[in-house]
Amino acid sequence: MLLTGVTGFVGEALLHLLLTEVPGVRLSVLVRPKGSISGADRIAKLLAKPIFETVADAQVGVVEGDLSDPPPLPGDLDAVVHSAGDVSFDPPVDEGFTTNVVGVRELLRRIEETGRDIHYLHVSTAYVSGRRRGHIPEGPVEHAVDVDTELAWGLAQRAAAEERSRSVEVISRLRKQAEREHGRAGLITAAAATEEARKKWVKDELVRLGAERARSLGWTDCYTFTKALGERVVEAYAATGHRATIYRPAIIESAISRPHPGWIEGFKMAEPLILAYGRGELPLFPAAADTAIDIVPVDHVVASIVACLAHPPAHGEPAYFHLASGDRNPVTFGMLYENVRAYFSKEPFAAGDRGAARLPEWTFPGGASVERMMATGEKVHKIADTLLGLAPRSDRTRSWARALDRQGRRLKFLRRYLDLYKEYAQADLRFVDANTLALYRSLSPADQETFAFDTGVIDWHDYLYGIHVPSVTKPVRELDELRKLRKKPVPGRLPRIAAGSEGSTGAEAEKSRVAAFFDLDGTLMSSNVIETYLWLRLGELSGTRKAAEIARMAGKVPGYVWSDRAERSSLLRTVYKEYAGARLSELDAIVDEHLTAHILGRLAPDAVRRIREHRAAGHVTVLVTGAIRPLTRPLLPLFDHIEAADLAVDDRGFCTGHLASSPLVGESRGAFVREWSRRESISPADCFAYADSHSDLPLLAAVGHPVAVRPDVPLFRHAKRSHWPIADWGSPAHTTRTLDPVGRSAR
Amino acid sequence: MTRPGFVLEVDDRTPPLLVHEGLGFRLEEFPQGTRVVYPPESLPTVPDVDEAIREALDNPVDAEPLRELMFPGMRLTIAFDDLSLPLPTMKAPDIRGRIIEQVLTIAAEKGVDDVEIIAALALHRRMTDAEMKHIVGERVFRSFAPQGLLYNHDAEDRSNLEHMGMTDKGEDVEINKRAATSDLLVYVNVNLVAMDGGHKSVGIGLASYKSIKHHHNAKTMVHSRSFMDHKHSEMHSSAWRMGRLIGEHVKVFQIETTLDNEVFGKPYDTLLKREWEWSLRDQATVLGLRRGLAVAPQKLRHKMFHDLRSNYGLTGITAGAVEPVHELTVQRVHQQQRVKVEGQSDVMVMGVPYLGPYNVNSTMNPILAACMGLGYYFNSYLRQPVVREGGVAILYHPLDEGFNTLTHPSYVDFYEEVLADTTDPALIGPKFEEQFATDPWYVHLYRTSNAYHGVHPFYMWYWIAHALDHLGDVIWVGGNPKAAARMGFRSATTLRDALEMASSTVGPSPSITYLRNPPHLLADVR
Repeated sequence: MLLTGVTGFVGEALLHLLLTEVPGVRLSVLVRPKGSISGADRIAKLLAKPIFETVADAQVGVVEGDLSDPPPLPGDLDAVVHSAGDVSFDPPVDEGFTTNVVGVRELLRRIEETGRDIHYLHVSTAYVSGRRRGHIPEGPVEHAVDVDTELAWGLAQRAAAEERSRSVEVISRLRKQAEREHGRAGLITAAAATEEARKKWVKDELVRLGAERARSLGWTDCYTFTKALGERVVEAYAATGHRATIYRPAIIESAISRPHPGWIEGFKMAEPLILAYGRGELPLFPAAADTAIDIVPVDHVVASIVACLAHPPAHGEPAYFHLASGDRNPVTFGMLYENVRAYFSKEPFAAGDRGAARLPEWTFPGGASVERMMATGEKVHKIADTLLGLAPRSDRTRSWARALDRQGRRLKFLRRYLDLYKEYAQADLRFVDANTLALYRSLSPADQETFAFDTGVIDWHDYLYGIHVPSVTKPVRELDELRKLRKKPVPGRLPRIAAGSEGSTGAEAEKSRVAAFFDLDGTLMSSNVIETYLWLRLGELSGTRKAAEIARMAGKVPGYVWSDRAERSSLLRTVYKEYAGARLSELDAIVDEHLTAHILGRLAPDAVRRIREHRAAGHVTVLVTGAIRPLTRPLLPLFDHIEAADLAVDDRGFCTGHLASSPLVGESRGAFVREWSRRESISPADCFAYADSHSDLPLLAAVGHPVAVRPDVPLFRHAKRSHWPIADWGSPAHTTRTLDPVGRSAR
Repeated sequence: MTRPGFVLEVDDRTPPLLVHEGLGFRLEEFPQGTRVVYPPESLPTVPDVDEAIREALDNPVDAEPLRELMFPGMRLTIAFDDLSLPLPTMKAPDIRGRIIEQVLTIAAEKGVDDVEIIAALALHRRMTDAEMKHIVGERVFRSFAPQGLLYNHDAEDRSNLEHMGMTDKGEDVEINKRAATSDLLVYVNVNLVAMDGGHKSVGIGLASYKSIKHHHNAKTMVHSRSFMDHKHSEMHSSAWRMGRLIGEHVKVFQIETTLDNEVFGKPYDTLLKREWEWSLRDQATVLGLRRGLAVAPQKLRHKMFHDLRSNYGLTGITAGAVEPVHELTVQRVHQQQRVKVEGQSDVMVMGVPYLGPYNVNSTMNPILAACMGLGYYFNSYLRQPVVREGGVAILYHPLDEGFNTLTHPSYVDFYEEVLADTTDPALIGPKFEEQFATDPWYVHLYRTSNAYHGVHPFYMWYWIAHALDHLGDVIWVGGNPKAAARMGFRSATTLRDALEMASSTVGPSPSITYLRNPPHLLADVR
């Protein structure tokens, strides 16, 4: 006998049942190598699992190969059980067809090649009936869809979608959106985001195409649609005089008794929902309380498969079996909800910092009203997100961003599951299981006990409350325990600075050199380029002209903010134009005489300590800033190298209003880090970088230890996603924020 | 006639008493029987300040008149106390400026043209031009500062320090080279409290870290009982040894001044009056101030208080040889500040005000607040501390002002790194002092910016070594619990809670003494 899909949930259970209860059978399995792990290794790993401990001597032949192009099969087969396949409901359309149609067709071709009388058992799904309602008989699904046409169409879609994704309309829309979001971080970052978005677009498009085509023909989704077409392939095969069984289980859940009660591998359909409910995160569900959810335990599934194998159908006439519970012993969403709720009321998840989660009460308001609530929630979230993007950065906006993102994740989770299960939750389907029941009754009493699969006798309360939900929550509880044992991370804890290895030889010390890059504005002190311009400019002006200058700058601020949002360097260029006509040596003198105290007073103490820690550890400290060089003069003793903007001067020493070279912002910061490290033979992976703004993303991304300092919202989100530490370095609270420190110091 | 200081015993007729706490104050009802120490009211001031200065310079103690000490072609150096004195800063004109003007006038008459003026700030922060100008006056500043002849002493300028030898106890004596190599060193002092002046002026004010560390350490400070009483202070003994050695090399002409007790100008002078004598107008002022302070943001309160200028008047000026001059000075200070207190008590209460010597135009960070209370006020005694050994000190200060990174950069690191490790003054010295004292970044900031020397927070902690050694518990009323805990103290919300907490150390009905300071007082505990 040959099995496919043994690394899956059903396949594993089947393998276990055959090895323990059907001793005479000689087994081969078809396994795909995964990455560098060969099929044989995967099987060895599988057989090392605890449930196989009781199996004395597992002799399993391994056939390595992929279902889309299966290898020749062993010549001594009597039966083939095909249970491989993706159980994702929304695969990209081409993958759905490849797995569920091409895979079946190719496997059957190989079976025909052997020339033996092989019983082919095809594991399908009860839901191939699609959007029909009411009683579903154990027979072929009625439809007139031409398999070859659809298959050809489905397989062609990837190329078509790839083609469309590169069309001007799509690609320019994606690029504009990426540039809006990431433009400040530079065009290369935006380009990377565009390509990322295009790939996602292709995938989404393929998923959408599959789902739409399925619905247009009366199926719920691409999965059931392609599964139904797969059955047609099997039926065509049987029609040529072969033995074939089409076996359709409903929703398969944990085992009721073997290998042990509650045995389950990975999360299936209802588990994420059960867990989310236990965490208090599933406030509603679109089903009706009396709708049946057709679940069957996995041991019933595999036992009935074995029974089917023992009773091969006649040649040329495929047999159909449903393994379902809904017809004779239905479990409703109401029952499921009651049992899950009762279980979590008794055994809530480990209480977090804020005590156990409040369990939501479901009112089963019906699909339409759930959909309305979701839509409103999503709309509000989107508006809040847009507003947040416009809000100035502060601790409060960051905490809003955190709350909003959490809310967003929940909404996304809900949306995904509601969309996926909506059809199933609202499907009033009753799968007739007369054939299966007859098969069961034909078994001897001893076999009936060993191979139990009468779903009519299951006590759902015992199963759900006593077996299924506890086993599903067990790994989560273990994880919670582990998490509790682990030391809580201290917020704001920065990567440790390892001191340079002392006593190592010169060459080694050279190799292990480390640099730390710091941004200035917003990172080392709370300031911005307009503010620092005024510090310098107002220093040279008299009283009334000061007021005029402030008013003039105030009028320009909206324009500056706009250009800053678009691109950092254009802002710097605009502001630096204002320096035209100033004498560079005078700017230096103003800084030395009046601004040093102001700048040193504004430095965040934590930032200074961090810089000094780096120095103490023997690291090279580098200041990377778009600010003009005179302003960095007070910081000279802290840094080994300062990369600042140099104002261009004419031959008399007056600023021309241009820069000597383009300002170091966005992409060019990342490039600077790479080039500078190369020249200094320092590995960027060992380096640290500290910055505050989304436009510094390339700088942070260029090093191995990035730290976001009081980040703006986009950088905050990025840091969260990438698990970068976030530091909170504030300028001392008592320092006065003034536009005219020179005037104050002279007073 | 000046009313002497006295000790009030709180009874049922006593109104709530004023207690300073940082950028504000509260009216506290003390338990009956609490002793409250009030300083004497202001002594009469000299009728004509310029005349008094002239008189002192012409008739010095144990020295020739200043005029006689000067000759053409000589090197004359004038040193003066920095902005840590007096507190708060004096209304212009500052007494030091008026003295320096007269010294310069005499020098000009005698044909002295090699004159330099140095702010004797030891390891304090450099003063800004504005601060310097305020002390020496516009005219002196204009004539000397631009040429670089009026400047801050730099204790880290190796090329400008002179090692003058060692005392018989092996202490290095190293001071400003210009001062050490002058033909005459005139020192202009403000003797606000008894610890100032004497050999401390030149011996510490113009010294380097190498020299200062011999007496500024935990061991010496524990044995300075108190440092307001130079004859019983180890620190002063060391400074005296150094001063005598300096005197062998350079002629020092010491000018010491003493002030009255007019700490605050109008309208804040009400805060200096005894509470039961407040007029309706005084009561209205206090009420208005409290209401105003309650709603004012911290920045505004900081500005309100730090813009205050004192109304100090000159009670006396003496010039001549250091030691006899200082004897007379101390007598006058005692006359102004000494109050007789009968016996020690179990608990001592102190209100720490917004200002100490080291946060002029800056912020009172927790370390400075601790130093102000447990260093200065606690040590403001003669004979024995106000509180018995093992007793409890209750201090008022919110400990919430944070650190000024411009003026106190090393304090932030001291707080985060040293105090997090240990708060024992005897341990921090050997473990951390060297590292802070020689840190190039701190040295850079001390020399070029307006920062206290890197080692300065250690000195603050050494100042309180005697108190920590003597006391059984320290409780801050209204203090930020985090800051208090970091320094090894406890905090309470109210005096009642603080006394409740203290009861485990001193029992349920302890004797309590409250030092009503400011104005400055010196408790003479019999």
